[in-house]
Amino acid sequence: MNDLAFAGTDGIIILSAFAIIMLVIGYLSGRGEKNLHHSLSGYYLAGRNLGFIALFFTLYATQYSGNTIVGYAPTAYRTGFSWIQSISFMTIIIGIYLLFAPRLYVIAKKRNFVTPTDWIDHRFKSKAVTLLSIFLMLWGLGNYLLEQLVAIGQAVSGMTGGTIPYQIAVIVFVAVMLAYEWMGGMKAVAFTDVMQGIVLMIGIIVFLIGGLYLVGGNFSDVTRYVAELEPAKTAVPPMEVNINWLSMLVLVGLGASIYPHAVQRIYSAQSEKTLKKSFARMAWMPPITTGLVFMVGIIGIMLFPGLDKTGSEQLVGLMANEIAAINPFYYWIMIIFFGGIVAAIISTADSVLLSFSSMLSNDVYGKFINPKASEHKKVMVGKVCGIIAIIFLLWIAWNPPGTLYEIFVLKFELLVQVFPAFVLGLYWKRLSGKAVFWGMLAGAILAGVLTLTGYKTIYGIHGGVIGLGLNFFICIAGSLLAPAVSKSKVLEEDLTAINLKA
Amino acid sequence: MENRTIKEPIRKKWIWVVLAIITLGVVPWYFPDAAAEPYILGFPLWAFISTAFSIIMCGYLSWLCVNEWNIVEDQEEAEKAKGDKS
Repeated sequence: MNDLAFAGTDGIIILSAFAIIMLVIGYLSGRGEKNLHHSLSGYYLAGRNLGFIALFFTLYATQYSGNTIVGYAPTAYRTGFSWIQSISFMTIIIGIYLLFAPRLYVIAKKRNFVTPTDWIDHRFKSKAVTLLSIFLMLWGLGNYLLEQLVAIGQAVSGMTGGTIPYQIAVIVFVAVMLAYEWMGGMKAVAFTDVMQGIVLMIGIIVFLIGGLYLVGGNFSDVTRYVAELEPAKTAVPPMEVNINWLSMLVLVGLGASIYPHAVQRIYSAQSEKTLKKSFARMAWMPPITTGLVFMVGIIGIMLFPGLDKTGSEQLVGLMANEIAAINPFYYWIMIIFFGGIVAAIISTADSVLLSFSSMLSNDVYGKFINPKASEHKKVMVGKVCGIIAIIFLLWIAWNPPGTLYEIFVLKFELLVQVFPAFVLGLYWKRLSGKAVFWGMLAGAILAGVLTLTGYKTIYGIHGGVIGLGLNFFICIAGSLLAPAVSKSKVLEEDLTAINLKA
Repeated sequence: MENRTIKEPIRKKWIWVVLAIITLGVVPWYFPDAAAEPYILGFPLWAFISTAFSIIMCGYLSWLCVNEWNIVEDQEEAEKAKGDKS
């Protein structure tokens, strides 16, 4: 992010205020809850008792990260109107949830699942499938967390005009995040998300209003300007872009819905009513989040024409400088907005870290290393391992790779390979563990190789989607040739819809 | 009461057929090259229609969540009511 000429000391004041508020919320969430640190579902799932407001905002703030603003506006700047795809690919996630969340919620509550792998373990009873899915999910989460850490550093140092350097920014905010998470677990994460989500929502709206003010208030003028300057950005997209668009719908829809921290929010809901109400509201969020950010990116073309790729990555900072200069009202809103971006990044990072820790403690430690450990010990192991993982990722974050968007696409490629095991497994009794294992492995290898050899997309289709196609094929063909024979009555019950209510 | 139908979206084909149709409306593969104009609310024609389909998708999914999903809600609400009374 670009250095913000306007911020400096005022930026530090706002950031400090946000940090203090987050710590206070964390403290209040954990206060008086003695069981919180002695129960996996208490610490990692807020006791499965998240009400509508907390659940909605935690879904919102987790799904929309700082990258949604800092990374998507420049993408809209570079690609033009075809980036309105960001509305649809964020919406389709709810459609994919509808494929599996209703049934998964019921089974998870009945069987006391803590992590997504609990379901995979319960369904396939195969160490190989469980381990491979743990690996793929931890890989996806680690990558995601790394992206957020890099973003925190860039956002804070940019906002304070370099007064707080990148490294210090990352360390301070990671410490704040660890502190409130340690104190209140998922409850703290969800309640800080309420504050972070509200600031983000308001900030985006004011940012767009400020941007429109700068270009004379008429979005049609902007489009006309873009059409004259760079007609390709307003033209009907060529077929390859359309195929890429469809591929993004599949990749993001399937990948984002299956994210371990997203799945854990399904587990955390207080009731089915709360969950479906939250999803129903979430379905309306893309137009007023990614849709508005898209418009900001297009306005940026008129305000700062001709930026190259690196230059365009600074777009949000450049625009914020201009908007802040309009008058004192915009100045302060911009400072709060940038605090909001930092908060949005942290709200995503804290959820990912919590999920990462839960998988280390419940899946790796609890299933494979010390199954007899008490829940308190498992929670502690998760907390400590989370810190070790953060230190390792910080070491990588010191030399941040690539642009934000590139990292964003990368992490889905492997994670999405868990989808067939997860969702097919919910409905198809014949699906066998062996077929799932080989499908997941082959899909991950194909997606990884394509990405590493530079074939991120083939004819517009993402490597992850091609890998997923192979994965599905192996799962289905393998299970038809050698179907699973379930002897578990419990599993039979879960896979029969009519029993769900019992 | 006990035998009330379970509403589970995956079991209703029409839900997915309609979603597929909306998705095909969102992706602007069907426009001729000339569809960049006229501009509607500042959006090129194709982008405006694609956005309209995106918003229809938001509304449709939101409606599905509320109206076509009901597995344990009655049971949970009944238990909650019982809990509140006692």
